[in-house]
This record gives sequence, structure tokens and C-alpha cells, in this order.
Amino acid sequence: MVSYILKRIVGSVLILLLIMVVTFVLMNAIPGSPFLTEKSTPEQIALAEAKYGLDKPAHVQLWNYIKSYLKGDLGTSLKMQEGTPVKDIIFRQGKFELSIKLGVYSLLLAILVGIPLGCLAAYFRGSWLDGLLRVVTTIGVAIPTFVLAALLLIAFSVKIDIFPTKSGNLPNFKSYVLPVISLSSYYTCYIAKLMRTSMLDAINQDYIRTARAKGVKTGAIILKHALRNSLIPVITYLGPVTAGIITGSFVVESTFSVPGLGKYFVQCVMSRDYPIIMATTVVLSALVIIMMLVVDIVYKIVDPRITLTSKED
Amino acid sequence: MKAPFAKFSPFHVDPEKIMDTFGITDGDFSKASDNEKEAMVETHKSISFWRDALRRFRSNTVSMVALFVFIGCLFFAFIGPYLIPYNYSDQYRTAQKLGPFEYSAGEETARSIQKEADGFYATAMRPGSITALEAGDYCFTFRRNTYAFTLDSETDNSIIILDLDEQEPLRVVRESDIRDGKYTNYTPLAYTSTSADGATELKLSRRVFPHVFGTDSSGRDIMARTMYGARVSIIIGVVAALIVLIIGSLYGAISGLCGGAVDFIMMRIVELIYSIPEVLIVLLLQVVLKDPLQAWFQAHSQTSAFVRAMSDLGAGIVSIFITFAVLYWVTMARIIRGQVLQLKKQEYVTAATALGASNARIIRKHLLPNCIGPLVITTCLQIPSAIFLESFLSFLGLGVSAPMASLGSLCSDALQTIQLYPYRLVFPAIVLTVIVLTLNLVGDGLRDALDPRLKK
Repeated sequence: MVSYILKRIVGSVLILLLIMVVTFVLMNAIPGSPFLTEKSTPEQIALAEAKYGLDKPAHVQLWNYIKSYLKGDLGTSLKMQEGTPVKDIIFRQGKFELSIKLGVYSLLLAILVGIPLGCLAAYFRGSWLDGLLRVVTTIGVAIPTFVLAALLLIAFSVKIDIFPTKSGNLPNFKSYVLPVISLSSYYTCYIAKLMRTSMLDAINQDYIRTARAKGVKTGAIILKHALRNSLIPVITYLGPVTAGIITGSFVVESTFSVPGLGKYFVQCVMSRDYPIIMATTVVLSALVIIMMLVVDIVYKIVDPRITLTSKED
Repeated sequence: MKAPFAKFSPFHVDPEKIMDTFGITDGDFSKASDNEKEAMVETHKSISFWRDALRRFRSNTVSMVALFVFIGCLFFAFIGPYLIPYNYSDQYRTAQKLGPFEYSAGEETARSIQKEADGFYATAMRPGSITALEAGDYCFTFRRNTYAFTLDSETDNSIIILDLDEQEPLRVVRESDIRDGKYTNYTPLAYTSTSADGATELKLSRRVFPHVFGTDSSGRDIMARTMYGARVSIIIGVVAALIVLIIGSLYGAISGLCGGAVDFIMMRIVELIYSIPEVLIVLLLQVVLKDPLQAWFQAHSQTSAFVRAMSDLGAGIVSIFITFAVLYWVTMARIIRGQVLQLKKQEYVTAATALGASNARIIRKHLLPNCIGPLVITTCLQIPSAIFLESFLSFLGLGVSAPMASLGSLCSDALQTIQLYPYRLVFPAIVLTVIVLTLNLVGDGLRDALDPRLKK
């Protein structure tokens, strides 16, 4: 177990390094210079590039990035907030915090609503409730996040004025409602679908029949016997969910005017603020990779049958 | 010729011996009568794989309905633009910011005369113009007759009316002279049936077509744009799915068939791509590829038809294709590899290997055709995911660029004015959702039909 976790951590670090290299190559492949504006002269550009070390050969620049990242230094911004350390921009100005808050609440909502819904649908399979849930979840996975976000905005902020149109820095509960619902709805529906299938699978197993024959109460059968076994596909899915929620947050943040990391990243890519692009990519990738690692370990705890050492598809 | 080792073969049987054993004599054999022959004829035709799948798919009501709705969407996207008189890029200057089924003032006037006249041409409805038709030669065709006429001076806020019941069928009427479809003050136009060289061809309207979904702030018809956007989105989805199909299936098949070190390395690459949060890279790729692609288009569009077709699509869309080719084939590769791992243990693969078939032939002739179920299903479900990605990128302002439209960019444009004109968002959003929903349902139906083992 410990050796597996160590191996995975080493693998994750390697993947992060590779992501840094890919990001670096891509950033440098954008034609032109970040300092290129209509007014700037070639001398000014060269001076600015020299100041931030952009005139050095590519491999030296890349090595500098890796060296400073190992020291925990994420560099300083070139353009967006010139001279400010990137670490402050991401972590101190509340951007990361906002995105994480949105993401965590959405993830929690998706799990806490999706799993019970799936269980209900499986338990009452064939009933009107199952049918209704199937329609809702099927539509839920077909609506793109930004469409749902915008439709919710029209319905509950423009037509009926319950929630604010601009959530801003998420000052109160009301400002959370719409962004979190739009961010989590796809995953809620997907988890509910997944949960229904695997719960049905579990309910039809022999050990459930045995438990029932022994006179165990229905509630206890579902909660103690079936749920634990049917959670595995859902847990596997949580890795991709994390990546998806980060993606979704880009859209949700721009729809509800939340000044989070996602919206900022898009702006930075447009204005080519290299250190911020690099830092954001690495931080968000690390988040996803850590989540995948956690998922694999939780996987093992939930289902001891899974051997981690010889992983076959 | 008798095989030399026949008598040593364990399978060799002597018919004489068998007849002795069971006590059968030659007299027990007789020719089959016609009735007996008929009884041997198959009563049921053997059901092929596809026929069986089709039967299962047909019996799935939800998928069939979804399929028909999707075909409806295809009609909307591909035939629709030819049925309405508006174009996705034409800006009707006087028809800005109209709601669904609203008409601009000029269109209202034109509507009021549409009962009386056989045809009309309203200068206010001319795309891009500010209500004027310059002096010059014009012609149009009506019921196979050509009408050519010359305007001596600029015609402002006017309607050219063709009314064959009247003495002077062709006339120019100022819009302000028309009240409730009646007018008395008009300028008759002399016309000939042969058009002069360089005459501008006009298209006469019979009736004013409503702006069903309204118009945007530049006076473009939203229904025309939605149709066009749906077409762009569907094309992107299909092409991206095909790219994924080709790369993913080949990669998966090679990895699965070769096994060993090749498989190990290829699968580590897949795992690596799998754990990259692709959206961050996709965003970067979009920005990176835009300018070089444009330069490449300009350099080669004269020489190669392929490049010209690509440049018509635009750099934004082509870079989406590249993104799919680089990052999105991994799921397909994993699925196909899993299938191939099972299939390669089958006897026919061993037989093919024994007969000296190359790996390429085995993949092409034996493995991929037997993976057809997962291939079709995964490709079908890939289309909505490509449409999702494209609309997501367009929403962030990276996909297609104006005047081109995709469903995502339409939604994104609509979001700027959502407080005042919510319907601009609603229509493209509904079309997008319906396309994705129906494709998902059709894909689910295909899975149940092609691979009944997977059905839960």
C-alpha cells in the first residue's frame, strides 16, 4: 500500500513536470511577444524581455521555471498585474479561494444529491419516480453548463428577482445558489445515472437475497450492504468530475461575474502573461492529479478486493 | 487421391464399418421425394448481425423518437437555410433588435401591400443598405419573364412593386405614401425584357418572411444564424468524432495486438494524456494554433483544395480538430484495446497468423470489423462531446469568429444582452440541447442494439 502510494506520487510529480514542459512549449509557440503593443518599439520589447529573462534560450527558461517551482516560487506577473508575485495573485487575492469554494460546494452537492437520487431510482425501479428521474437526468447531462447557467440567470435573476445577477465575491448564501447549481447539475445527473445502474446491479446479488432472507430491514440492506458495493463506479468517476468542475468553473465564473481563477486564466492566456499561465496550469493540474490519487486510494478502502499493485484495465 | 496418412488419422472412419455396426443395408437408402426436399428448405432466413441490431433498435421507442428528432435537426441545419430568404451574415440595417415574429417598419409596409401585388422589392429590406437603391440598371425574373429597368436616381425608402393586374405593372412607391396597403402616388417604371450588361439582379419577394427567432443587434436574422450555427456544430462534431475514431481505433488495436513492451509504452502514453486536465491545454492550443494556421492557409490556399476547404472552416474550427486529434482519442483507444485483448485469443486470429497474415491485415480484416459495436457506439457518443467542447470554447470566445456562428458562439453573444433580449439565448440553447440530447439517446439505443450484453 505504502509503496503503491509512493509510486503514484512519483508518477504524479513526473506528470506535473511533463505538463510544465508542454505548457512551456505551447506558451512559447504563441507567435509574437507578450510585450508587443501598437506603440512599443523593438528596443522597448527587447528591454522588457531581458528584464524577465525571456531573451534566454528556451531550455534555460524552462529550467528556471522548474528550479523556482521546486523552491515554491511561482515567479512574478508580466502584464496583468506587473511585478506582483504570482503566488499572491493566485492565493492571496481570493481568486483561488473563490474557485475552490465553488468547486467544493458543487462537488458536495453533486455527491450528496446524485447518490440518493440514484438509490431512490434503483429502489423504486419501474415506478413513476424512476421514470421522472430518468427524464430529468437524461436532460441534465445534455444541457451544457453555460446554457444552464444562462437559463437559470434569465429565470431566477432577470424574470423573477430572487438571486443576484452578479455573484461577485460570493458574499452571501444567495450568491452561491445559481453558480453552484449550474456547475454541479451535469455531475449530479451523471452520478445519479451511474448510481442507479450499479445499485440495481448490487440489489440483484445473492448476498442481498441472503440478507433479506435473514430478515434484515430494507433500509439496512440498502445502506449497509448494497450502497457500499455500488459506490465503486461513482468513486472512479470522481477524478474526471474534479477536472470537469474546474472546466465548468471557467464558464460559470464568467456567466455570474465571479472573479475566480478560471476567468482569470482565460484572460491571462489572451494577454500571454507567461508566469501566471504556467502557475495556474500547474496548480489546477496538481489539484486534478491529487484528486485522482485520492480516488484510487479511497477505491482500495471501499473495495478491498481491488489489488493496487497489478492494475489492469 | 487418398492422403497418405489417412489410415493413421484418428478421425478416419470407414463407412462400411458404420453401416455394419448400425445394421443398415444399401436398400435403406432412397432418393428424397420433392416433399421431403421442400421440408429441408430453410423456413427462416438467417438473420444478419445488422438486421438483428436494426430490429432491436427499432423496438426501442425512445431511441427511435430521438433519431427522428435528430433527423429533424439535420433538416433544420442543412435544408433550412435554403428555405428562408435570410442569410447568416447579411445585416438588415433597419431590422435590428427585433423580437421573435416582429417586423421592422419597412417590412410592415411591405407586408401591407403583399396581398395586392404580385411581387415587390423593398429597399429597406436590402441587406447592408440604409434603405437606398442606387441609380443604375436592374433586372429580375418573374414567372419566366425578365424585367429590366433603369433607375435614374437614387431611390430612397421605396418599394418597387410588380402588379400585373394594373396598366403600368412596374412602379416605384415611396414607403411614406403607403397607408394600410393603399397608395395613389407612384412613379411608373419603363421596362424591357432584355437586360443590359452589368445589370444588378434583384430577387423579388412574394411575401415578407417573418424573423421567427428575431434579429440581433446588427440586424442579422437569428433563425438563419441558428441554422448555420447548428450546421457548423454538427459538422465539427462529426469530423472530430471521425478523427477520434481513426486515431483511437488504430492506436488501441496496435497496442492490444502487439502486447508486451509496445503495449506497455503505448498505454503509459494514454494514461499520461488521460491525467492531463485537457481544458487548460486546449485553451492554450487554441490561442497557439490560430495565427500559424491562418498564415498556413494564406500560403497554401491557392495550391491545394484541401487547404482551401480548411481555410473556409476557419482557424478556430481546424484547431478544434487538431485538439481532438491530440488529446481526445484516449477513451476510444482504451475501449478498442480492451476489445482487441479479448478478440486476439480467438481461433480465427490464430488461424490468420498461422496462414501468414501480417499484423496490419489482422487488424484490418479481423479485429476492427469485430469491434464494430463499440466503434459505432463510442463514435456516436463522441459527437455530442465534441459539440460540447466546441460550444464551450466558442463561449469563452476562442472557437469560431464572427460573422461565422456556432451554437456556442450564438449563446455567448446572446449572454451580453441577456437582460434585454433573453430569447436570443433561448433558441440556440434549445437547439444545442436537443442535438446533444438526441445524439446521446441514439447512442444509448445503438449500444443496446449492437451490444446487448452491455444492457443493464
